[in-house]
Amino acid sequence: MHEISIAESIIRIAEAKAHEQNARSIQVIKLRLGTFTTIVAESLQFAFEIARRGTLSQDARLEIEIVPMVVRCVVCKASTQPSHGVCLICEQCGFPLEIVSGEELQIEYIEVDSEKEESPWSQYRSEFQFRPTS
Amino acid sequence: MESVPERISVQTNVLNANQQMAVANRERFANEGMLVMNLMSAPGAGKTTLLEATIKALHEQFRLAVIEGDLQTDLDAQRIQALGIRAYQITTGTTCHLDARMIARALDSFPVDDLDLLVIENVGNLICPASFDLGEGLRVVLCSVAEGPEKPKKYPVMFNKANVVLINKIDLAEASGVDLNELTTNVREVNPHATIFALSSRTGEGMSAWTNWLQQAVAGRASAAMASV
Repeated sequence: MHEISIAESIIRIAEAKAHEQNARSIQVIKLRLGTFTTIVAESLQFAFEIARRGTLSQDARLEIEIVPMVVRCVVCKASTQPSHGVCLICEQCGFPLEIVSGEELQIEYIEVDSEKEESPWSQYRSEFQFRPTS
Repeated sequence: MESVPERISVQTNVLNANQQMAVANRERFANEGMLVMNLMSAPGAGKTTLLEATIKALHEQFRLAVIEGDLQTDLDAQRIQALGIRAYQITTGTTCHLDARMIARALDSFPVDDLDLLVIENVGNLICPASFDLGEGLRVVLCSVAEGPEKPKKYPVMFNKANVVLINKIDLAEASGVDLNELTTNVREVNPHATIFALSSRTGEGMSAWTNWLQQAVAGRASAAMASV
């Protein structure tokens, strides 16, 4: 059940980033999780709900994007997604396969609530953002 | 004042803190010129018995010490100490793996600057220890034939990360109804690059191929360190 220590790491990293930005609270934490890791998404969600209490992530949603495992032959360069178990020997030519993706355990971004003074710049920026493009 | 939802890019690996500590450990081990081996397996595969047999074969050739990881008790450290080898026990409480910080803390009270080989016996577990780099130079995964032939298929991440896979208790292969070739093929499928040894720590069968290999790895390490001075 190492998902608890993984959840705690996620919250620590998110919190440090939120503090840098003077955020009041974290609303969303976006995580990319590969299928060739030892982390189970459902267990991680459960652990996250326990570990977030009393932190800036108290009300945060953990959004997990599952990244499928992709392997590629070092010789014939054929790429496949293993579906039934993992075999890292190429079915075509018998050479070893390399792992292209599936080992991700990366926080992509957080969404935070910040308290900011209205400033001419922010007004300009929102006007700019909503200006129709021609 | 207004509330502004804002997206902040993070792009950070969740295991970053452990990874940084592992890098620091690895540098320290390299500076001191020792080989560090992280030994991992399921509970009961025979890690400590393998270590005892390995120590008996090699303790006269080079200086070694052992860090033991367990949830509770210092029974494993006692077994190593009984051979006259320095051993330090980390008890993790409820944590199912060792991490790089635990190793760094252990080194504060367990000097390792005079060693050729430091063995870290991880907590018996085929899942979590695979994710936590300790700063080792050699990852060894041990599985026993008594666990059946399918462990590599069921725990591919752990086996995939190994430099060496040791298949233990081959004296029990027949009694366990396990085909050694099938088990070896299963290891090979999830890790085409690992060096594989089949052995029995208890009877000694196959042990010398492994200890000779390890002796050369330690010697290679020492000469590499001397060359870098």
